Parts: sequence; structure tokens; C-alpha cells
Amino acid sequence: MDSTIKDFEGAIAELESIVKKLEEGDLPLETSLQLYERGVQLSRFCHAQLEQAEKRIEILNERGQLTPAPSNLGTDE
Amino acid sequence: MSNSLFDLPFEEPQESDAGRDPGSAIRDSVAAEPRRVYSVSQLTERIREMLEERFFEIWVEGEISNCFVAKTGHVYFTLKDAGAQIKAVMFRSDVRYLRFKINDGLSVVARGRLTVYDPKGEYQIVCQHLEPEGLGARQLAFDQLKERLAKEGLFDARRKRPLPALPRKIGVVTSLDGAAVRDIVKVLRRRYANAHIVIRPARVQGDGAALDIARGMAAIGKVKGVDVVIVGRGGGSIEDLWAFNEEVVARAIAGCPVPTISAVGHETDVTIADFVADLRAPTPSAAAEMVVARKDDFCARIDRLGQRLQATFQMRVAMRGRRADDLAHQLLRALRGRIARRERAYQALLLKLERFDVRRRFDVIRARLAAVDGRLRTGIDRRVHGADARFRATAARLDSLSPLAVLGRGYAVCWNADRTAIIRDASTVDSGDKVHVKLERGELDCTVTNHEGAETRGFDH
Repeated sequence: MDSTIKDFEGAIAELESIVKKLEEGDLPLETSLQLYERGVQLSRFCHAQLEQAEKRIEILNERGQLTPAPSNLGTDE
Repeated sequence: MSNSLFDLPFEEPQESDAGRDPGSAIRDSVAAEPRRVYSVSQLTERIREMLEERFFEIWVEGEISNCFVAKTGHVYFTLKDAGAQIKAVMFRSDVRYLRFKINDGLSVVARGRLTVYDPKGEYQIVCQHLEPEGLGARQLAFDQLKERLAKEGLFDARRKRPLPALPRKIGVVTSLDGAAVRDIVKVLRRRYANAHIVIRPARVQGDGAALDIARGMAAIGKVKGVDVVIVGRGGGSIEDLWAFNEEVVARAIAGCPVPTISAVGHETDVTIADFVADLRAPTPSAAAEMVVARKDDFCARIDRLGQRLQATFQMRVAMRGRRADDLAHQLLRALRGRIARRERAYQALLLKLERFDVRRRFDVIRARLAAVDGRLRTGIDRRVHGADARFRATAARLDSLSPLAVLGRGYAVCWNADRTAIIRDASTVDSGDKVHVKLERGELDCTVTNHEGAETRGFDH
């Protein structure tokens, strides 16, 4: 992932400002193109973040250790 | 007299009257009565023994006044009503168990025993337990803690943190046996399939529950990556939910390094934890829904931004393309105009020359004319060519400045067959018409096979 993107809060804020700039500003084509490319990059980053969360349930025990949760935890029985 | 004075179960000293004559007995009925002299200490001790025995466990109601907490932690106060007052003390070991603070003006029912403080000769009640009258002890404790924490600013709106834009690792502090954990996991599983959940089990009712919850909050706050914590339990009686009204829990929630959601009982249950947490969920399921909603918002936001990004960029590119077309067209028209003007001037000059040649000096200077004519022609040619070279240079410069370079980016200029006009509207040509397409390199002659008004333009080679 691009190291210039700190976190998704920052990414989404930057993406918002880029879209706004593109929508209102009378920018040279070259600048528009650069902004667009950055925007696409940010958008991909955000989508990647969504995918990155791990599907997992863990229990934090008394000793501060993480162990897998019993498999029946989220199921109806 | 003496009996009415000492209407107490004192063991009267019994002394034998034997051997006295009735007369002297009558005469000395008062004076001769044998004296039983107590020391003050003895008397006080007798009084104390009697009071302690008789009022071993009593309930008394009254209003607290002159309340004073000693350094030892014991609390001294006076219980009074409209007609009387009694000194009271509550030892630290008992004060500990009170859920409210002993305050002046509080009406209470006290359970305790009477005793006498010998050095002062004062009797007092040693309270083992106090219950606020009219108001449940719990309610009072709740109100007092709430007021105190509110004063500290723990409930301030500006302390409230928003949930992260995309919660990724969700901490949960609750009992593993309760309904809450199942509800939370179920909602997250269904609506946020790849959520990472970390559960810190904690007793949520009974002795030690509050401390357990507080420790759980502290522990889960330290787990790397946890970005929101749900703390709570399912519904129950007010006693069952009480741990969430304890100060230690309130402080643990306030001290959590990441945003917290309280989810205690049902909608109608409000606990101190709810006031301190960044967000209050009416139920554990609702808390999970709040997390999901953030995720959904995040998805919607980036989807919308992505769409806007595409749309705005496409529009800008289209606008640029149209402007380039316009410039190219203007340039060509300008060049054509200038060339035509030069052409006309040349023709006029030529005509003038011919007339001059024929009418005035036909005979005389025919010979010279031939030479002059030749010179003139070369001169004019040079001038025309010079002008032409300048046009080319200008055109090339303009070209490099942009509009014609548009062709280099893949745009094309479509002319009509005799190249007198650029076609910008499909309705100006008919099927079968020839058109001429100029590309960056080379040109195409095309035949229109189909056209669909202003929206779509179709042509074929």
C-alpha cells in the first residue's frame, strides 16, 4: 500500500477534497489527471481496508492472552 | 418516690431488717435506709450495661444533622426529629457498605444498638446500617454518584468521541454466559461478516462484578488494534444491572483509550455507565448495529466518492476535448482566410500587370517586358513563398501550443468531403455522404453509413 496514505480517515478526507477540487476548480488538464490518479489510488486503499478486517472472534483471558472463541458463540442454539 | 425515680430493673441492695424495732424502723424510714453509694463510673457502667442489654438491636428513624467524618473514617452525627435528638456514630467498617454518602438533612432509618460513652456520660446509637427514608439507598447512591461525576465533567458532550470511520477490531466486555454476547456477535456476523471481535469475559452481576468489568475495560483498552469497545449486559432487575452504576466502572469507561458504547439492559434502563460512555446503545444488539452503521456509512461514502471522481473527471476530459476541437477549427479557418487573401492579391497584381502590358506599351516594351515579367514573377513567387513559410511557422507554433496537438492524443477532426467545413453535428450529413477524417498521422476518406442525431455519430471506412 502507498506509504503516503496514513489511515482511512485521512484517505477518505483527502479523497473528498480531491473530488471537490475536480468538481469545482478550473484546473489544467495535467493537474486534473494527477488528482484523478491520486483519487483512484485513495479509493482503492479504502476498499482494501474494508477487505482487510479479519473475520475472527477471540477471547481475552485473565492473563491478557488472546484465544479463539468457542465456535458456538454467535450461533443460535 | 424512690421507685418512681428508679423505674429501672436495678437489683436493689437487699439488707436484712431483722432486729430493728418497728418504731425505729418507722422513724428512720428514710434516714436509716442503708446507703448504696455508686461511683460515677460504676453508675455509668450500670447504665451502659442496662442500655446495651435492653436496646441491643433497634431501628430508629430521624434526620441526620451535625454530620462529621473523623480521620479514622468513622462518621459521627446526630439523629433528630421535632422533639428530640440522639447522638449517633457509624464505624468505618460499616460505612464502607453504604452505597450513599451520609449527609446532613438526610432522613434515614438506622439499625443499631445503644451504648454509653463513659468519659462523657453520653448515650448514643452505634449504627450498623442506614437506609435513606422514602428513597431507596440505591437510588440515592445513583443520584449522588451521578451528580459527582457530572460535576467532574465526565458526562460532558465535548468529551464524547465519535466512533472510528471504519471500526475494524471490536472489543466487547460482558459475560460469556449472557444473552448480550450472543446478540452482539450475531448482529456483527450477519451485517459485518469480516469483523474482528475480541471479547473480554466479565461477571456482570453480583459481588465483584463492578471490579471485574472495570478490569476488563482496562485490559481490552490495551489490546492492539481494538478501535471501539462495547460494554454491557442483557436485561435484568435493577439489582442485576447495579454494577454499571458503580463508580469504578464509570471511571474505567471514562479512561478507555478508544471510543466506548454502553449497552446495559433494555431501552428503559439507564445507568451511570450510559452517561460516561461515548455512545449509549439501548440494547447490546443496538450497540452492534451502531458499529455496523459506521461500516455501512464508510462503504457508502467511498462508493459515492468513487462515482463522483469518475463522473467529474470524464466531464472535464470531454470539455477539454470540445475546446481543443473549437481551437483547431478556428485556426484552420484563420489560415485559410489568410491564404485566400494572398491568393486574391496575387491574382489582382497579375491582372494589372497583364493590362499594363497589353494596353499601354504593347509595341514599345514587349521585349523589355519579357525580362521584367520574368523578374516580377520570381519576386512575387518569393514573396508568396515567404508568406507561406511564415504561415507554416505560425501554424507549427500554434500547433505546439496545444489545439492541434489534440490530434496527438487521439482526437480526430471530421471534415465534409470537399474539406470546406468541420462536421460537428451528425444531422448535417446524410447516409452515403463522404466525409474526410483527419488523424494525427494521415487522413481517412469515410462514408457515412448511419447517423443518430446529435447523440451518436456513426461512420465507416
